[in-house]
Amino acid sequence: MKTAVVTGAAKPESIGHEVAVRLQKEGMQVVVLDLYEEGFSSLPGCRCIRCDVSDPSAIESAFASLKELHVLVNCVGGSWEITKDDLRAGPRRGFRGLTNCSLDDWNTIRGANLDSVFYCCRAAAPLLRKQGGAVVNVSSVAARKGIPPGAEGSSGPYAVAKAGVMGLTRQLALELGSAGVRVNCVAPGVIASGRLKKVQAVTAKGAGPEGPLKQIPMGRVGTVAETAALIVALCSDDTAYLTGVTIDVNGASYAA
Amino acid sequence: MPLEGLRGKKALVTGAASGIGDAVRKRLEREGVQVFATDIHQTGDLIVADLTDADQIEKLAAKVGTPDFVINVAGGPVAPSRSNTLPAMPSQSLVLEDIDPLQFAAVIAANLTSAFLVCKEFAPRMKARKSGRIVNFASIAARRGSDRVGVHYAAAKGGVIALTKTLALELGPFGIAVNAIAPGFIATPRIEQSAWGRSSPEAHRAFLDAIPLGRAGKPDDIAGVVAMLCSEAGGYVSGATIDVNGGLYFGP
Repeated sequence: MKTAVVTGAAKPESIGHEVAVRLQKEGMQVVVLDLYEEGFSSLPGCRCIRCDVSDPSAIESAFASLKELHVLVNCVGGSWEITKDDLRAGPRRGFRGLTNCSLDDWNTIRGANLDSVFYCCRAAAPLLRKQGGAVVNVSSVAARKGIPPGAEGSSGPYAVAKAGVMGLTRQLALELGSAGVRVNCVAPGVIASGRLKKVQAVTAKGAGPEGPLKQIPMGRVGTVAETAALIVALCSDDTAYLTGVTIDVNGASYAA
Repeated sequence: MPLEGLRGKKALVTGAASGIGDAVRKRLEREGVQVFATDIHQTGDLIVADLTDADQIEKLAAKVGTPDFVINVAGGPVAPSRSNTLPAMPSQSLVLEDIDPLQFAAVIAANLTSAFLVCKEFAPRMKARKSGRIVNFASIAARRGSDRVGVHYAAAKGGVIALTKTLALELGPFGIAVNAIAPGFIATPRIEQSAWGRSSPEAHRAFLDAIPLGRAGKPDDIAGVVAMLCSEAGGYVSGATIDVNGGLYFGP
């Protein structure tokens, strides 16, 4: 049986949750790392570990319990509900850019979105090298185009951290390619996740965390199912010759 | 891992006589897709059509109807003609002085005009149905430049990327996703017959060692990505160019 680690999978209606469910359905042993313990019961059959992925020692001990690893999917992220203290807080109101965020915001958001991927990949690398495997990181369209001033539900530090995830993906692709480990990235636009619902519950209708929804050429937001299907495909042999790339999944709202 | 959303669909695959097109056709057929395969090169049961000729595409459309997926594989660094439908690859790098205006125009026509004409014929049919996927073929030559294939091929494939982005915007409101695949070094029969990267065993090894995954691609590696883009996994991917090159170039 192959083993997968998925971070940020415990929240209902999240991309990570759907990825964990699909990998398990494919017969993998799925280990979930997340702070949101209430969600663990929604992942029967997964091994759920309460873990703050921005804490390197917590990551080290979580990975130390693994004997083997074939797939790592880094889904943890966001600009809010990312620490144990604000796990159920909902979106903060107002625009948070680089010039008006607090240093705490910067460190916390970078920690959850970029440092976490670094820690998990480092801890996973020795296990993945043994027989090869796949890493999929989740970036964002925010890394491509930034967050327009006034938009709520996302943040400037998030856009920067997610751009870091793309760079990390490329660097790791070079370091792990010879061991048969592929490292790729997806950059979703606006996806109809539980988190988007929370943003839309407090912001103006038609507003999205990355700008007005009516500006999306495909005329709709993406679904969690299609985004998760893409991530799962990046773990499969269908993409055996892809490494270091970021696939934009944004309904044609930004072409890189 | 299975791909959802392919079974029972209808696809048009161009350039299907050999190599990548042939692999795409076979992969989609294995997934339960009804494939209409075409090529300028008469092979087996393929529909023969010169895709630089709008009249021939119209005749092709009469046979195909409205596909769910249009896969524009047709093209290559050397333009085929009706008397030589599968020309050999050049044995060495092409520089400006090697390319005359007629060759330039022929390669642009084979790679870019063909994609334009096929989209122009089939996209309106897909628009009426409010769904569909178009996958165009670019090349690593357009993504990072090329010291081998010549400016005509690189420029044509760059045009394919721009055509892809523009059609993604234009057809998005009709539920049609349009993407491009930019293959790197793929060991197709035509490439294998040429001397690319094979001036000596050492040169060949060095050539492959420069690829992070340490090997040339296979036509099936490309077919897998086409299948992914046509499946549930590609539903919200549009305007993208996917670099499939073993890590040789990561994209912009």
